[in-house]
Amino acid sequence: MSDAVIFDRGYRGYEGPRKGRRGAFWAVVREGIRRELGLRRKAKSKVLPWLLITISLISMAVVVGLHWAVQQFGVERLVAEQLPSYGQYFDTASTISLLFIALAAPQLLIPDRREGVLSIYFSRPLRPIDYLGAKYTALGFLIMGFFLVPEFVLHISLAALAPEGFFSYLGGNLDILWKIVLVAFVFFFGYTSVAFGISAIMSRAGIASAVFLGVMVMLNPIVHAVVRLATFPGAKYVSLLAFQEQPRVVRDWVFGISTGDYATTSAGLEPWMSLAVIGVVFVVVSAAVWQRYRRVS
Amino acid sequence: MTELIRTSDLTHRYGDVVALDRLNLSIPAGTIGLVGANGAGKTTLIRVLMGMLIPSTGTASVLGHDVASGLVEVRSRVGYMPEGACLPAAQTAADFVAFAAELAGIPVGDARKRSSEILYLVGLHEERFRYLGDFSTGMLQRVKLAQAIVHDPELAFLDEPASGLDPEGREQMLQLIARLSDFGISVVFSSHILEDIERTCEWVVMLDGGRLVRSAPIGSIGHEDALTVEVTDEPAGLVEWLTGHGATVKTAGRVLHVTGGSDPFILVRDGLAATGVGLRRMGQRARTLEEAFIEDAQRRSEG
Repeated sequence: MSDAVIFDRGYRGYEGPRKGRRGAFWAVVREGIRRELGLRRKAKSKVLPWLLITISLISMAVVVGLHWAVQQFGVERLVAEQLPSYGQYFDTASTISLLFIALAAPQLLIPDRREGVLSIYFSRPLRPIDYLGAKYTALGFLIMGFFLVPEFVLHISLAALAPEGFFSYLGGNLDILWKIVLVAFVFFFGYTSVAFGISAIMSRAGIASAVFLGVMVMLNPIVHAVVRLATFPGAKYVSLLAFQEQPRVVRDWVFGISTGDYATTSAGLEPWMSLAVIGVVFVVVSAAVWQRYRRVS
Repeated sequence: MTELIRTSDLTHRYGDVVALDRLNLSIPAGTIGLVGANGAGKTTLIRVLMGMLIPSTGTASVLGHDVASGLVEVRSRVGYMPEGACLPAAQTAADFVAFAAELAGIPVGDARKRSSEILYLVGLHEERFRYLGDFSTGMLQRVKLAQAIVHDPELAFLDEPASGLDPEGREQMLQLIARLSDFGISVVFSSHILEDIERTCEWVVMLDGGRLVRSAPIGSIGHEDALTVEVTDEPAGLVEWLTGHGATVKTAGRVLHVTGGSDPFILVRDGLAATGVGLRRMGQRARTLEEAFIEDAQRRSEG
């Protein structure tokens, strides 16, 4: 046998396919998902996202288990009606999603700027709008997963437990599906646009996470206090600044339920105004972030 | 000769500061050196050619594509190695270089394969699964080069690729760059270290204060109709005689640089014979890139 050793393999050109701008977009999406989940990164990057995913799965299992237990052992109808169903489960999912967005949105945007990686991104067939769209998409996949997977599992489970039969239940509750998807999108856009807006201007991911949670959580009691106490004209419109509540108001509207005392409902505003605020914030913040990235790129 | 880059009255301003001033360039394929002092406009020119900066006036084309209208085509066919930090500390070299290939549109499987091959080429095969945050400056420079060529570009812009490297690392980097043209990759390589350019490049573009000083083959810069003459005696008489016969003479002690006249060799021979000054050595002067740069810059500032 020869004992020859190859010291230089030389260079081979690439003759395969090139997917251009579309390929670059999906590359950023894949990389964004890996970054959010801490995949191909050190162990400490995996802890928080997987903890939140685990909590989400456990809460889903608990809800499904409660419905199963009620079905199995039979309880008062009144108690059964108190169990969290499609609309109510969004409270749990949205809390987990809020924490996940606080963690993931700054991680998606800030390190690229801080570490100068944007100069690599924008040396490729990728425009700022592609970059931001891909980051939204990456976060969207996971956040929609937080909302939709448990809801669909719940839907299938309830169908399986239904006295009228699996397919009869599915056929009789088709409207649930579009409501779940619509509300999931409302929560996603309602929370993510604020998180991206903050992440686009801050230079430290940890601080951006804290500011986002501060805006979403701390603003609520302030807005409630203003709506309750203020007497100036138009004070009721301050209630639209309770960003965390707006998707919940829309959720109640879509599912026809009442889950809490929200600032906008206390102020007597129509639920469509909450939906409009979410849309306006998304458009304005996205345009501002895009402008910023056009300059950066 | 294939044209790599063409610019026409290309100007870029940062507010009131003119970073590039009416550049007209036509550069052929090959290994191109972009030289100039810090702030000469080298990085700005590269960033304009990559479409990262929009020029204030003028046009630029790269590989036959107008940068303004064919940005995606240009970026699909070029690679870029930035001067500053540009690598994510939390990723391994293999992952990042593969991602850089995917960003250029290469499918995932091919990207991983290319990443492995290119990291081998730049001498980082053993370290490819280490996190970039743990890399030395020299290793980071190699990763930056790897990501710039992983998608097999036709042209790579390398912005100060040897900066921050120790002499050994610098030597290895220059050897790698010199090999790129063998792989069919043209290179535009910026540096303020003229010796690096002189050793590596076939063509040089000199910038000074945003203006073009010279764009020419390296070979043409060293040759000139000038003689270096070292004499054994006081040269004043010889200098006077040569000047009187139409030559231009610069003196540095007993060393004279003689230009002008129909044939400087014959002129110096006659001058030595006429003045009786003794000759120690005489030869055609090979001008270094550094001398050419300084002379050209001086001529431009005087003009």
